[in-house]
Amino acid sequence: MDIVACIKRVPDTSEADIIKISPSQKDIEKDRLVFKINDWDEYVLEAAVQLKEKLGGTLTAVTVGPKDWDEVLRRALAMGADSAIRVDQDVSAEDPYAVAIILEKVIRKLSYALVLFGAQSEDFGSGQLGAMVAEMLGIPHATLVTGLEAEEKKVHVKRELEAGTLQSYTIELPALLTIHTGINQPRYISLGGIRRAMQKELQVMSLSDLDLSLEALTPMVRLEKLELPPKGKQAELITGAPEEAAGQLAKILKDAGIF
Amino acid sequence: MSSILVVAERRDHALADVSYQVLSKGRQLADQARVELLAVVAGSDVNAHAKELARWADRVLTVKSDRLEGLLAEPYQRIIADLIRKRKPGIVLMGHSSFAMDLTPSLSVELGIPLVTDCVDIFWQNGDVLVTRSIYNGKVNATYSFAQSEIVLITGRVGEFSVEEGRRQGQVEEIEFAFEEEFDYKKFEGYLEAEAGGVDITQAEVLVSVGRGIKDKKNLEMAEELARVLGGVVSCSRPIVDYGWLPSERQVGLSGKTVQPKLYLGLGISGAFQHLVGMKGARMTIAINKDAKAPIFNVADYGIVDDLLKVVPALVDKISELKGKTE
Repeated sequence: MDIVACIKRVPDTSEADIIKISPSQKDIEKDRLVFKINDWDEYVLEAAVQLKEKLGGTLTAVTVGPKDWDEVLRRALAMGADSAIRVDQDVSAEDPYAVAIILEKVIRKLSYALVLFGAQSEDFGSGQLGAMVAEMLGIPHATLVTGLEAEEKKVHVKRELEAGTLQSYTIELPALLTIHTGINQPRYISLGGIRRAMQKELQVMSLSDLDLSLEALTPMVRLEKLELPPKGKQAELITGAPEEAAGQLAKILKDAGIF
Repeated sequence: MSSILVVAERRDHALADVSYQVLSKGRQLADQARVELLAVVAGSDVNAHAKELARWADRVLTVKSDRLEGLLAEPYQRIIADLIRKRKPGIVLMGHSSFAMDLTPSLSVELGIPLVTDCVDIFWQNGDVLVTRSIYNGKVNATYSFAQSEIVLITGRVGEFSVEEGRRQGQVEEIEFAFEEEFDYKKFEGYLEAEAGGVDITQAEVLVSVGRGIKDKKNLEMAEELARVLGGVVSCSRPIVDYGWLPSERQVGLSGKTVQPKLYLGLGISGAFQHLVGMKGARMTIAINKDAKAPIFNVADYGIVDDLLKVVPALVDKISELKGKTE
């Protein structure tokens, strides 16, 4: 089964307390942030590699971004992807629709039975890209997939609704799925895998290789400004060394009648 | 702009909570712009829902079909796309549910209209509609406008818009729709509920809830110990279930359980909104987290910004000490 996995690189803002808005108010200052593969995309790669191990076929990893983004493709190659393509275009300011147009063009050049995306990205989290590309390719899709079994011509998927409910579908291939966290346990990358990944060639494409121009990507949605969110009710902070803070908190809990 | 259209969503034969939330927001936006509020509901038994929606909407459109079982996105997409083409509402509004995530991106591509998902605010500015989204783990708000679009598609974040009382008696209009295809490439097989295990976190008065910041499975013991001295149980946020460290019955949040304990003590939980909607009913919330900017500190009553691996053992000792004095 030939698989295409679309992945991206994100700044890790989960524990960053130094987020600053750029003077333009259109971006954040990224120079002090650490970048990594999008959390959801690790599950995408694991799901893809498992399918390849079971059913054979090729796995191609695709990303859209500047040179630094090669690192997520190297990771994909180390996990077991056969080839990797980067479209050399900074799309961080584009809306998902523009990125979907690029990815549709790339995927049409490849052989695929299954296309996998992360259900959303950690940075913008709009969760739109996969289902948009499916519509452009004219293939069925399921988003938020937390269970996946594949046969030669179809997949059985479980997708997540709210409050612990799942729904299950059988979908004919070719199809596109967006993968949710928890669907598997992403493997650790071996040293051998890293070595092999360094020897493989990354294919770089430009917009013109895809018969696209920047004008074709004009976003339908325009970013007006970024700002820090209004502060909610702020917690009363208990300070001091751990023992001291713990002592104060224990007293608060006791006074509240918790124990 | 002639109208605003709210796409209502049904779950277990009832309207989804988030549909009421965006319906209220839609009503407000329609009143401000002096346009009609439309709502659409589709399914096999829609009459009761139509009456309900008519308390907010000026006009409720119903589509009766027995082919919509299992919330298959494709047949819904055909119905909604057809409706949008015919009625040309300026704004199409939906709750940012799992169903909307399946439906709205392909709908936007089919119609060539812009989509902004998971909005925390929707408002008018000089006659244009603007939306705000929460990005970068809730640490930045981004406001967007729509460039020259006649129709825009917006989904609103679950729990973000308050439900105002609906006092109208809108008209109900039944719409005929005939499918031209079979959708046999995608078959609904059924709903699955998470397996119930031994612990019901919704019944606990004290929850010690662990998140990614717990770092290692073996540190769960520390949380169990704290729960034990407080007479509570351990719950968690999504990553802990994803890692396989706790079963999904312990998960608090949008895709897990909604809880209302007397005390909610979050350990290493950052407070993504999907988590917070599940615990906002807690009477007292305490957060222990290294990251001072973690959104959970915006909802907690008390917080300690420190390494939970140091604070929790000390807290267990202090509580045991205080308990010893009273016993």
